[in-house]
Amino acid sequence: MAMRDLITGATSCPDPSASSSSQNPLASFANVLTGSLSKTQERVREIPSSNSTGSASQFYSEPLNQLPGSEFDKPFIEANSQGSEFINRFRSAGAAGFEETWGEIQRDGSQLQLYDGRGQLPPQLHQPALDGTPQRVLSTFLHSFLDSSRGGIPFHPTSLPVLGLSEGDKQCIRDRSSIMARHLFADKSEEFIHAQVNALLSSLDIDSNVRGKGPMPERFRELDDYWNESQGNVIQGAHASDGWISEFSQNRERYDNPDAWANSFEQQHGVNGWVSEFEHSQLSSVDQMRGMNMQNIAAMEQTRMLANTLAQNADPKFQNSKFFQFVSKMSRGELIIDENQVKETALPAPGDWASEYQQQYNHGDAWAGEFLNNKAFSGVRPEQWAKEFATERQQNGAVDDQWVDEFSNLRVNDWAEEFGQQVGEGAFGEDSSNNWAQAYDEFLNEQYVAKQRSDSSRGVYVFSDLNPYVGHPNPLKEGQDLFRKGLLSEAVLALEAEVLKSPENAEGWRLLGIAHAENDDDQQAIAAMMRAQEADPTNLEVLLALGVSHTNELEQSAALKYLFGWLRHHPKYGTIAPPEMSDSLYYADVARLYNEAAVMSPDDADVHIVLGVLYNLSREYDKAIAAFERALKLKPQDYSLWNKLGATQANSVQSADAIMAYQQALDLKPNYVRAWANMGISYANQGMYDESVRYYVRALAMNPKAENAWQYLRISLSCASRNDMLEACDSRNLDLLQKEFPLQ
Amino acid sequence: MSDSSNLKSEAIIELMKQHFSTDAGKELVKKIGLVYQFQIAPKKIGIDEVVYTVDLKKGEVTKGAYEGGKPDATFSFKDEDFVKLALGKLNPQIAFMRGAMKIKGSLSAAQKFTPDIFPKPSKL
Repeated sequence: MAMRDLITGATSCPDPSASSSSQNPLASFANVLTGSLSKTQERVREIPSSNSTGSASQFYSEPLNQLPGSEFDKPFIEANSQGSEFINRFRSAGAAGFEETWGEIQRDGSQLQLYDGRGQLPPQLHQPALDGTPQRVLSTFLHSFLDSSRGGIPFHPTSLPVLGLSEGDKQCIRDRSSIMARHLFADKSEEFIHAQVNALLSSLDIDSNVRGKGPMPERFRELDDYWNESQGNVIQGAHASDGWISEFSQNRERYDNPDAWANSFEQQHGVNGWVSEFEHSQLSSVDQMRGMNMQNIAAMEQTRMLANTLAQNADPKFQNSKFFQFVSKMSRGELIIDENQVKETALPAPGDWASEYQQQYNHGDAWAGEFLNNKAFSGVRPEQWAKEFATERQQNGAVDDQWVDEFSNLRVNDWAEEFGQQVGEGAFGEDSSNNWAQAYDEFLNEQYVAKQRSDSSRGVYVFSDLNPYVGHPNPLKEGQDLFRKGLLSEAVLALEAEVLKSPENAEGWRLLGIAHAENDDDQQAIAAMMRAQEADPTNLEVLLALGVSHTNELEQSAALKYLFGWLRHHPKYGTIAPPEMSDSLYYADVARLYNEAAVMSPDDADVHIVLGVLYNLSREYDKAIAAFERALKLKPQDYSLWNKLGATQANSVQSADAIMAYQQALDLKPNYVRAWANMGISYANQGMYDESVRYYVRALAMNPKAENAWQYLRISLSCASRNDMLEACDSRNLDLLQKEFPLQ
Repeated sequence: MSDSSNLKSEAIIELMKQHFSTDAGKELVKKIGLVYQFQIAPKKIGIDEVVYTVDLKKGEVTKGAYEGGKPDATFSFKDEDFVKLALGKLNPQIAFMRGAMKIKGSLSAAQKFTPDIFPKPSKL
């Protein structure tokens, strides 16, 4: 069954009554849904003993010609649905289509003789007996499972002959059917889906709890949510025959509410969900193609069909691929093809909807936590379906090319070719699946980190979980000692114990902030420094540190506020800073005041330091470098000053100089994580990714909580073509990374 | 600050501008050879956007829309998201998936847009 025919529904279904040709879209639809079947069949064929007719005849003695739920297998018609007329027409053809599907399956197995041999014929073609070789039994059985979904009635367990399924087959069926059931019964309760899947699995003698949990891990539910989101969106726009534009404006309000469209979709399409919708859009687009020649509408129809076809590749990774998103977008009319150009149409509502969804989504961190609990378990499965997806892709490769050809005839050459090329290169095979899976993992990770970090990004300090220094008689002294020894992460713990003991201790908070800054964690540094400033609002070191950290976080106005505060609270320069200026701060004014201060006391290193930071804010790097160099002449032993000089040089693309400055800083303070991380950045910005990896790893070995360094490490690893180590990076396996990337 | 806007993204864009004078930057031009247009909004996509053109054909960064024809791909972000993306904190695929990044233009061009084309800012 060629995908081509799905895309060019117009040619293969010119007349509904003639659609029982072998090129029937529904036949392929069923095949797509039971995609795992062919592989299972092949595997089963390899087992010699499983082909014996003995098992078949044993089974045949049971009166199971009537499939469970098949009495409900009749045309599903929604009286109120628009275009129900089309469904009716299509249905009349659809029954024939199903017969054809079954017919194909029967012929494939060439098992019809079996009936002859027993002098019996099945009463109806489209109610096939559960009979024949194991692969055929399995095939018809799975089809009946799919069919039961159409009536929305529970699927009852059935006893089947011994099928000789291997563990791998079982695993495959278990996973696939679980995922599939989520799609088929998207509008049903969780219990119902479980019951359905369990009925199927128990019939096949597959333990649904092999992995120690229900058939559907949380992870997949989340994936399916995504899938359903995109799905719902595609389907909403599918009333082409009634003019989707007017439809859209009517439905506009629904788009604003993510729940609303889900409900309305359910109302309109009921239990059959997208299955019927698919048929519907097939049909309506046939009409569309006949009745109109408007290129865009035609292209939209084509992409809608393509989107639907692709949607039936029940693989969430594929569902979320860029290509699929693009196709979905086109099918919704958000993108149109105009003289070979892809254009975006004005369609504000989906955007609103998306952002709204995102807002809601951001509040719900619950599942992220949930996922983490299950991580050990679910981590195994994605690989499996990734592999499965890849194999399927290979098998379908030729077919894909066909429809890409077909599709590029629509003059969407640009991306269709691109996609074709990618299919050719296998980019949609394992690689992209893995990428996608990785992306999803990252996303989960990000959610988790965001959950942890959302506090600190709001300026709330996040304490470590297990702190051995709690209860220490003098944690401040301990922290100061550790800090002096350069054990920054340890010092952080001791100082946390200190500020837990005495939350008003400005010095504890200040040193904690400094330790975090040197540990390359500006957000925690800011949070600690803000507490220090609360306790002691005029502490100059705290104000400067806040100015520096906000500069690093690219938060210009905040940085400016604290740097002005430094001047205003300085015993010597406070007089030149008019207090009323803090209401509306302008960079130029603040810079002018500091230049005045520098003229007043040219030997005050601190003024030059603040000036250097200010010039970093305005990206006048030459002036910043000059200011820091002047300060270094006065304070040559200040390692943080060497780092500031280096960072400024790096930001003004003088990476070679920067590395020398960082080296000075590290000679003075070997455990200065920030300088190690900055080294990595400088090498990376020079394209020396291999070196940069070593420095990032070194920095992370000293502070595994340096989030930025992990992200940069990941980028450098992939730029250095060391994708083999990405997993170690993602799982934060420092031992392995250190072994692999020692620093000479 | 010297040229007005308060976007965090501007720091990254400026860094990019200088980056093109380095060997690594020139390598990037060879590797990608496309023109990207970034439309960066302070709070909400589409509102008060500041437009930058990153010409990875010539190795130039300019403020404003591309004047040499059509950019190969145009991206719209919020300021925050652009910075996250450039610093590797946000994966482009995820950004797209979540609607945090909107793309116009050629898909193949858009796919070459990855966090590693941006130089990373060093920290004081």
